[in-house]
Amino acid sequence: MSTNNPLNKQPEPVSWNFNLLSQNDLGGFGGMGEGIAIQLAKDGRRIAWLAHESAPKNFTGVDVTDPRNPKVIVQTELPNMFMRSNSLDVSGDIMAVAYQTQKKGMQPAGLELFDISVPENPRSISFFDCSGEHSRGVHQLWFCDGEYVHMAAGAPDFKPSHPSDDQFYRCIDVRNPSKPVEAGRWWMPGTSVHDNIAPPPRHPLDKGYRAHNTNVYPQRPDRLYLCYIDGGMFVMDIADKANPKVISHWTNSPPYTGFMHTAVPLFDRNLMLVTDESTEDNAADWPKLIWMLDARDEQHLVPIATCPLPPVDAYKDRGGRFGAHNIHENVPVPSSFQSDQIVFGTFFNGGLRAYDISNAYQPKEIAAFVPPAPAGSKVGSVQLNDVYVDENQIVYTVDRFSGGLYILECEF
Amino acid sequence: MNQVFPSTTASPFGRKLRRARGAKVPVTVLTGFLGAGKTTLLKRFLESPEGAGTAVVINEFGEAGIDDALVRSSADETVLLGNGCLCCVSRSDLQETLRALLIERERGELPDFKRIVIETSGLADPSPILQTFSTNRALGDAFYLELVLTVADAATGVKTLEWSSEARKQAILADRIIISKGDIANSEALRTQLRALNANAEIIEAANGAIDPRSFTEPGDSERNVFVAEAEHSDGLSSFVLAPDKPMAWKVWLRAMDTLMALRGPDLVRVKGFLSVEGCSGPVVVQFVQHLAHPPVELQAWPDGNEQSRVVFITRGVTEHQVRDLFKAIAALAPGK
Repeated sequence: MSTNNPLNKQPEPVSWNFNLLSQNDLGGFGGMGEGIAIQLAKDGRRIAWLAHESAPKNFTGVDVTDPRNPKVIVQTELPNMFMRSNSLDVSGDIMAVAYQTQKKGMQPAGLELFDISVPENPRSISFFDCSGEHSRGVHQLWFCDGEYVHMAAGAPDFKPSHPSDDQFYRCIDVRNPSKPVEAGRWWMPGTSVHDNIAPPPRHPLDKGYRAHNTNVYPQRPDRLYLCYIDGGMFVMDIADKANPKVISHWTNSPPYTGFMHTAVPLFDRNLMLVTDESTEDNAADWPKLIWMLDARDEQHLVPIATCPLPPVDAYKDRGGRFGAHNIHENVPVPSSFQSDQIVFGTFFNGGLRAYDISNAYQPKEIAAFVPPAPAGSKVGSVQLNDVYVDENQIVYTVDRFSGGLYILECEF
Repeated sequence: MNQVFPSTTASPFGRKLRRARGAKVPVTVLTGFLGAGKTTLLKRFLESPEGAGTAVVINEFGEAGIDDALVRSSADETVLLGNGCLCCVSRSDLQETLRALLIERERGELPDFKRIVIETSGLADPSPILQTFSTNRALGDAFYLELVLTVADAATGVKTLEWSSEARKQAILADRIIISKGDIANSEALRTQLRALNANAEIIEAANGAIDPRSFTEPGDSERNVFVAEAEHSDGLSSFVLAPDKPMAWKVWLRAMDTLMALRGPDLVRVKGFLSVEGCSGPVVVQFVQHLAHPPVELQAWPDGNEQSRVVFITRGVTEHQVRDLFKAIAALAPGK
């Protein structure tokens, strides 16, 4: 235990096989959410678009053409303090931003599309309203093909059977970006008051039966990889977008404590990565893991391994959360790293970790980055929240409270 | 497992690596003649920015009288040196010492060291240390021997090479040789003698006890010189470079090396290099120390754009002819040929 060691009373920062190129606290608004995208601008610049974890900022554009010298080129404001734009994605010169309100019934709650062809001057194209008596709007979205936004959202006409279960899967057709229209939706059976089956049983931490990540890849445009927080994950058939169908369902909870977050298929290898999110401070919900699933038969997913967590005793008392959250998702855009050999994940105060998964049964940690607590951290430790790896294997990771953007290169 | 979950981007040897060490902890083995000034060079390196985060292991092999300029404590303890560096003495088991360092680092009890420098005693034959890192069973799964660095001093080096077989072994096995004290003595004779012993190692001179700190960290280029004729050294040691001009079938390489190891394992002092293998776009890094084979890895690209296979053999009484003939015979017998 670090506290017992006379050599080292303070936890040491870790930088193993990652090399920090730069950090930018984004003008003192460095509390970042789970939306990172890299735009390859027409003028040759590379712009990182970052979603903020909470108000007052909406999103920030950072010129990362020189990753050693990132420059904030635009930072926008939210209309009020009771909302957040936790998630964003970029396809070409269009950016989709998710708006979630603190309470149900508040506005604006929905999806906004921006023209970012001039990165310094994002122009709103349209707003798709998801507000409603029982809705907090959009928590997460996926927008990679320029045609459809897949998102975890509430709706004015949806009444959940439990107040926490307001966000479900919605597919929005944005082929005409000035006029988005819903193409389809699906919710976990039992979570609508109008369902004729019983609502699902609550988990002890009760984070809700809600959609989280809604990943769709060009290798299988007819498949949606949907995580549903306390409901586990679903492989969905979306060949008919208006009528999504469940192909299979996998959950680890109980006995684990819910909050399934992201599912990333590794198509060539017939594998799937599934992450949990740690939501409790001091590792109270340990272990929150990155799971490796054998996906040779998509109807029968089999967990075969997890990515080893750093030792909980060394991290649980550092402040804030410790455990898995976002991973790099092989986002199907030209600016994204693609790999079925390496997994990059953020673990809050456990920092950023990379794993070699060439042996799917034995993921092996190959790199770690745990910077010191950034100035202004309210929990006394770094809380790395999200990660994106670009096509040159430059790594972008963000702190949840104050550290802003960290840019790293890989040494492995 | 690769049959169950195959990948079009992986190598038959696992993930393709950017560099030979992959994600392992790089190890520099620092050897040198008695009084050659190893410790002075090491101290300067540790104080440089490149030296930050170095864990120094002083390997005593049970010997007394080691220079205690770095470690004044007599106990078997780890001492923090500043600049994120630390130092410990391994008096019994090097493997145990290194494993303990790794575990303590993982627990956050030690600074986040990035590399290991093992300082050997002046009269040590480095071969046993090389063996320690040669297989995954020992330390090879966590550590990678990146560099054997040998310090020879211009003042007494020539004499030392004459009387000490250990010193000759240090020179022969080196990836890089630093000539110290060139400012107080002419180094030409020593340089000639070192070059005769080791045609491939880079030889650099320390000016007033100073060297480029990267000499401690950059991998040795001992395979760079393909066209070196077989050299016969003292003590029955010889070295040559095997440089097949076409990609080799992996099974041919494996069979030939299996045979060599089975028949003459103890005489394969060190074998190391880049091999062009059929079906692999990058070079396959191969390494052997006596009867131990380091797991092969494929690199993403040839390091210098030169796609020529080059494997350096340092052997005792195994000739270049014998090795070439063995490879030729096995290649001729391999099915599909």
